Amino acid sequence: MSTETLLKRERAAPPPASAARRGGRGGPDGRGNRGGGIGVDRPGVGWAVPAAIFFGLFALVPLVLVAVLSFATWNGLSAPEFTGLDNWKKLFDDPVLLKSLWLSVLLTVLGVAVQTPLSILLGVWAAGHQRNRAVLSAIYFVPLLLSVAAVSVLWRAVLDPNFGVPAQAKWLFGDGNLFGHQASAVGVLVFVSTWQFTPLHTLLYQGAARAVPQVLYQAAQIDGAGTVRQFFHITLPQLRNSIITSMILMVVGGLTTFDTVLILTQGGPGTDTTISAYYMYQKAFKSFDYGTASAIGLLLVLVATVISLVMVRLSGYDKMRSTMEGL
Amino acid sequence: MTLRARLPKSVAAGGAALALLLSLSGCGGGSSAAGDDDGKIHVLVYGDSANKVEKQLIATFNKKSKVKAVLDTIPGADYQAKLQTIINSKQAPDVFFNWGGGSIKPFVDANLLMPLDDFIADDPTLRSKFLPSVFNSAMLEGKSYGVPMRGTQPVLLFHNKKALDEAGVKAPKTWAELLDAVKALKAKGITPIALGGGDQWPTLMWFEYLYDRVAGPGLFPKALDGNTTVWESAESKKALGMIRQLAKAGAFGTNFDSVKFTDKGSPTLLATGKAGFELMGSWEYSTQQDAHPEFAKKDLGYTTFPAVKGGKGNADNLVGNTNNFYSVLKKTEHPEAVADFLKLQYSDEFVKEQLGIGNLPTTTNTPDYFDKAASPEYAKFQFDLVKKAPSFQLSWDQAYPQSAATAMHQAVQQFLNGQLDEGGFIKAMQALPIS
Repeated sequence: MSTETLLKRERAAPPPASAARRGGRGGPDGRGNRGGGIGVDRPGVGWAVPAAIFFGLFALVPLVLVAVLSFATWNGLSAPEFTGLDNWKKLFDDPVLLKSLWLSVLLTVLGVAVQTPLSILLGVWAAGHQRNRAVLSAIYFVPLLLSVAAVSVLWRAVLDPNFGVPAQAKWLFGDGNLFGHQASAVGVLVFVSTWQFTPLHTLLYQGAARAVPQVLYQAAQIDGAGTVRQFFHITLPQLRNSIITSMILMVVGGLTTFDTVLILTQGGPGTDTTISAYYMYQKAFKSFDYGTASAIGLLLVLVATVISLVMVRLSGYDKMRSTMEGL
Repeated sequence: MTLRARLPKSVAAGGAALALLLSLSGCGGGSSAAGDDDGKIHVLVYGDSANKVEKQLIATFNKKSKVKAVLDTIPGADYQAKLQTIINSKQAPDVFFNWGGGSIKPFVDANLLMPLDDFIADDPTLRSKFLPSVFNSAMLEGKSYGVPMRGTQPVLLFHNKKALDEAGVKAPKTWAELLDAVKALKAKGITPIALGGGDQWPTLMWFEYLYDRVAGPGLFPKALDGNTTVWESAESKKALGMIRQLAKAGAFGTNFDSVKFTDKGSPTLLATGKAGFELMGSWEYSTQQDAHPEFAKKDLGYTTFPAVKGGKGNADNLVGNTNNFYSVLKKTEHPEAVADFLKLQYSDEFVKEQLGIGNLPTTTNTPDYFDKAASPEYAKFQFDLVKKAPSFQLSWDQAYPQSAATAMHQAVQQFLNGQLDEGGFIKAMQALPIS
């Protein structure tokens, strides 16, 4: 245990990131101390058994089965027939599939781009201890309590072209045909997801912003830095790990968005909002083509894994660099 | 777009995979199983408000029968998907609700259903008590697979009498009159025709009728048999041209793709006089009675789809859901009891009760009980239409196998909103799977 880390523990509470340290900066035995008091070892493997069994049963086994199914033709009635690469060949010639993957990525990117700045600003604002902020935050977190389905139904009603908001605000919405064009339909999907999930990420940032040591701000004030400068030079860098965590959540969520599409657009107009997860659902539970659906599911797993890995790599998240450096 | 907004992929796909496991290993619990016979017949129906009549009929049946019947329901719109997952398992019912045509074709292909011809040979009333045009739509490869239950649902042209009066037009009898009515209503500043394009299947109804009126009832069955060249025929192109002409004339307004029937969007347009017409299944009437009772009583008018001059189709032809049907599984242990149960579907009690909840049975004794219907006049109008219809085309998305429905819905939506041209639409229809 280096003196550096010992000293660190006497200061402000360590950021969550340092709790899950992988070796490297730990002690000579390669086991970092988990901050639970001196001399406490990492818990034994036994603790992980229930979770591992659960994960294996409900995630790994189905994943393997889906992989097997993706090489078969199955309509759910007769026994599956193995047809080798047929499903995959069909998929790669399928313009809708490529479009759906592209749409999934587009929705995800738009979601991250819209929600991240919003939730950082809101989170940092909500981290203050003034009473009015607490009240407003509480109101603001209400969408978190609602189910996605309920929220989608609600917005569908609000955006009805003849009886909803568009009918009252023709100067803004024109004929109100929001679900009849790709651009506006995608816009609605991004908006509804933002409305529903920004509070979740705001909550993350609120917690993270409150964990930033006050010492830093005091020092900056002495040096004459204003609020804006403090935000960019202290708060943002300190939020780094939270940003990455939140983004990974957004990306995984974005790639697997399903219920908003099911209720708001049904993938329409035509196939203009048919994202991969919805396309998979259509193939499986509308067309009873479980083989192709399984192949789409696998593709989605692959795409999500690759994107997550790239993000982790690029952000240096895997190195778990402490945010406390420079203290 | 986050954690909670996801379809747990492993669960959805895993569900399919688990179903696979279960079907392979033949395990899986459940109380109702035709496979391991519990001495009862299980009747599976679509779960909705009509179940009270089915419950009553089963009670009647159980009074007399040694073998008792049990009613199982699958509520909600995923009836077909859930049916498909249990029909080849031990949880399979003995008798089940369906829409005839393509909805049971996969089961017939998988050799799961019992042809009813032997039952009919034993007791010819099982066929003769029903209107032929309806009974025949559950025939596949020349064998009968379904006995009508619940009621018939032809698609009719509904209108708002007040809105039509104000625009000075009458309910149209011909295509030309419809176009004139569209112009007059548009000049009044209202949407001529309400269309729930967001649901896609209401759009399909326009295609079904125009194809019938222009090309006659023969074209569609040919396409369904795999003769896809009919989609390129001159009649097919003419029908498409007429749909395009109607849309170009502004008949549906511009935002129809954002309107739905299922969230009461298009019925409300009609009821509030913001639209003049709506082409919809006969359930429009009960929908309006629930949502706008005043309008349903006073101003809701209904007619048949207009005639097309020079077209091959008879103006009396209908399209829509011909009926719901009961089909029987091959592996049922109690065929005699099932046959007795099916005979209840034209009993006087059945007809009275169905009319009472707004359904219109298609038995030959239905006219005796019109006075029991919520709207005797409406019931009689429909029944006479169905009776004299030379052809009653099952809705396209029900006639084709389920696997074609999504692509078909997309094609009609894209053609109407201009994303697909004539050639693109024809290609899309030719690519539909027929088995």
